[in-house]
Amino acid sequence: MSVLSVDSTPRPQPSAQPRTVGSRLRNITRSYIFRVVVSGLITIWAVTTFTFFLIRQMPGSPVEVTIDNLMTRQGLTYEEAQRAAATIFNYDPDEPILTQYFNFMRDLLRGDLGDSITKGGVSVSSIILRYLPWTLFCVGLALLISFSLGILIGLAMGYWRGSWFDNLMTGIASILSGIPDYIIGLLIIVVFGVQLRWFDIGAVRGGVDPNITPAFSLEYIASIFQYAVMPIIVYVLASIGTWILSMKSSTLSALGEDYITVAKARGLPERRILTGYVGRNALLPLVTRLAISVGLIVGGTVIIEEMFQYPGLGRNLFVAISSRDYTTMQGIFLVITIGVVLSNIFADFVIGWLDPRVRVSGSSDS
Amino acid sequence: MIGLETVASPTGLIIGVLCGLVPLGAGIHYRQVRAGIFGFIACVFAGFGCGLLGGLPMIVITYAVVLSYAYVNRQDPFTSRAALSDVNFDETRREQVERVLARFGGNVRTSIRALTRNRAGFIGFLGVSFFVLVTIFGPLFIRYEGEAHLERRAPGSRVLVAPPSAEHPLGLDWKGRDVLSHMVHGGQRLIITSIQAGLIATALAVVLGSAAGLLGGPVDQVLSAIANFILTIPGFPLLIVLAAVVNFDSDFMLAVLFGVLNWPVLMRAVRAQVLSLRERDYVQAAVVLDLGLWHIIAREVFPNMVSYITVNFIFTIRVAMYSIIGLTFLGLVPIRDPDWAVMIFTGRQQGVLFLPQAAGMLLSPIVAIALFQLSLVLFARSLEEIFNPRLRSGL
Repeated sequence: MSVLSVDSTPRPQPSAQPRTVGSRLRNITRSYIFRVVVSGLITIWAVTTFTFFLIRQMPGSPVEVTIDNLMTRQGLTYEEAQRAAATIFNYDPDEPILTQYFNFMRDLLRGDLGDSITKGGVSVSSIILRYLPWTLFCVGLALLISFSLGILIGLAMGYWRGSWFDNLMTGIASILSGIPDYIIGLLIIVVFGVQLRWFDIGAVRGGVDPNITPAFSLEYIASIFQYAVMPIIVYVLASIGTWILSMKSSTLSALGEDYITVAKARGLPERRILTGYVGRNALLPLVTRLAISVGLIVGGTVIIEEMFQYPGLGRNLFVAISSRDYTTMQGIFLVITIGVVLSNIFADFVIGWLDPRVRVSGSSDS
Repeated sequence: MIGLETVASPTGLIIGVLCGLVPLGAGIHYRQVRAGIFGFIACVFAGFGCGLLGGLPMIVITYAVVLSYAYVNRQDPFTSRAALSDVNFDETRREQVERVLARFGGNVRTSIRALTRNRAGFIGFLGVSFFVLVTIFGPLFIRYEGEAHLERRAPGSRVLVAPPSAEHPLGLDWKGRDVLSHMVHGGQRLIITSIQAGLIATALAVVLGSAAGLLGGPVDQVLSAIANFILTIPGFPLLIVLAAVVNFDSDFMLAVLFGVLNWPVLMRAVRAQVLSLRERDYVQAAVVLDLGLWHIIAREVFPNMVSYITVNFIFTIRVAMYSIIGLTFLGLVPIRDPDWAVMIFTGRQQGVLFLPQAAGMLLSPIVAIALFQLSLVLFARSLEEIFNPRLRSGL
């Protein structure tokens, strides 16, 4: 934990000089929050710039394909076809890339992500707003389930170390944490869906039953949950093993602390020791990791969403990449980057808030 | 990779036997025939399997092990029987090399013994060895079936896919080809690419991490900034984009790409460890003596991180395999001869995913990948426990 260090050096006392604008400015620039926000903004800018130039290096563009089609089918000259394609796609491939970049940044500062290249007239923001909730719902629920189940199981395993429960769950958790998520998904589809016919395979493709009209009705919501069950099971199975194992080792190290011995010596009830003393302290390192994995929600869902045809942002990113939809790709990358940066900052604050021993010191070196 | 063209060929066998003569000769010379014979067998396998690339390191390892049985440390008053006054502390170059080698061999022996005692780790080790041996030596016994076999269509069936039978133990794929032959031939490239990717990522992480930790100052700041930058970009989506930008003519490019994207986590850990090691007395002494950066890295700092790096190397191989299979699964790398990942991809693409008959074709690669990844994790985690006894969790 290099970000956090116990600040033992005395902070410089605020001087008794009259406060000028300059000293206030200095106070602001020195404050931790200011620096975190600025470095976060710089990171987001850098990643956006990097991805902007990178994705325009990808070979092939939707415009080229359409220009080819127009030339062969309608007999247009290259210039005419190019102009026609530019109106369809709202994108001119011959515009200098730096001009494109400055236009993009100017629009971005106004909060405008532009329109999708391949889907004419649809703004990238509306695509993100439409598909992000699906991913947040599905992965968020899965993360919640696997985290809470994982810490409960891990706590019990660590507390009753060496019992049959501990041995059994250690084996299961090791196996689960060793198998990739898409392999778990494929295994479930092939074994339980195709071979054993425990569930209807057709019903796990998509996000909701297409025959039900979207409305705020019980039927519609039930269908959403029904279609989300499979991806959620896969996410939970793929991530719970790691939570269990890290909670167990965290519990074991908390159990070795002196205050546990003292609490036992004081004759406190076992239940209180388990929840108030062991559990809370063992949870600390995991909360940081939970905050960080919230930021990774969208980036890690591409394969599973593609496998289940789930209408989330991950699958849309894959579609955008395959169809070279630059603006949509750019928008989704921006969402992912903001998520990662925010969750890292959040993790820092949460750990400082939960654990008074680790107050975030002003000197962050990483 | 150099030397890999001799995989499982007569040349490889000759290389292996030649390599094996070294530990065998050493074993006879030092009257440790049993260790020498084991060394010979290990060298033959390594040379046969990986050519010079496997044979040469195996010579060093087995020779060190043989030497560790025979070596008596003259400097150590407890093992040498001579009186302390007779011990000559000036050692020749040769003796120095022998002492280092014997210590290394002793470490190898204790690690192997600890590994056989660790149940999960030993299972993982056996699993990894099984898949590596099958993919290396299997092609010697099973011929690759590349062409379609329309005549194998079962009577009354509309598809060529068939479940396992006596003739084809793992069934037929969508072109009527024997799945077992694809399993045996298809793992090698995947495993080798993953290992290359893991090697590149680990090497980058170690070099850059040590440089950042030891040099400090602007070098450290720049490298840490780059690491943080790469860590912020979503890894797998970025790999997808880069996979489209970079033209894959070889699997090696894929490995390089993975390595360039996946060094930051380990690099930060190495840097932190170097920073803490730098404050120890013996490193400070080396700095004061002005022994040079490379000497300090190679002799004082690196040996203290070897175990940590080894464990992370295995974990990185696993992540590399995950990413490569994921890319193939999405159809983003050129699809060529069936390997494990391509078999799943074509299974999905040809629409046999939902056919009950296709269980053999689909489950074989799925189970193989799952077991190989699981073995890697078990193996790496047990190594971690062996190297760092504080982690022992009683599994």
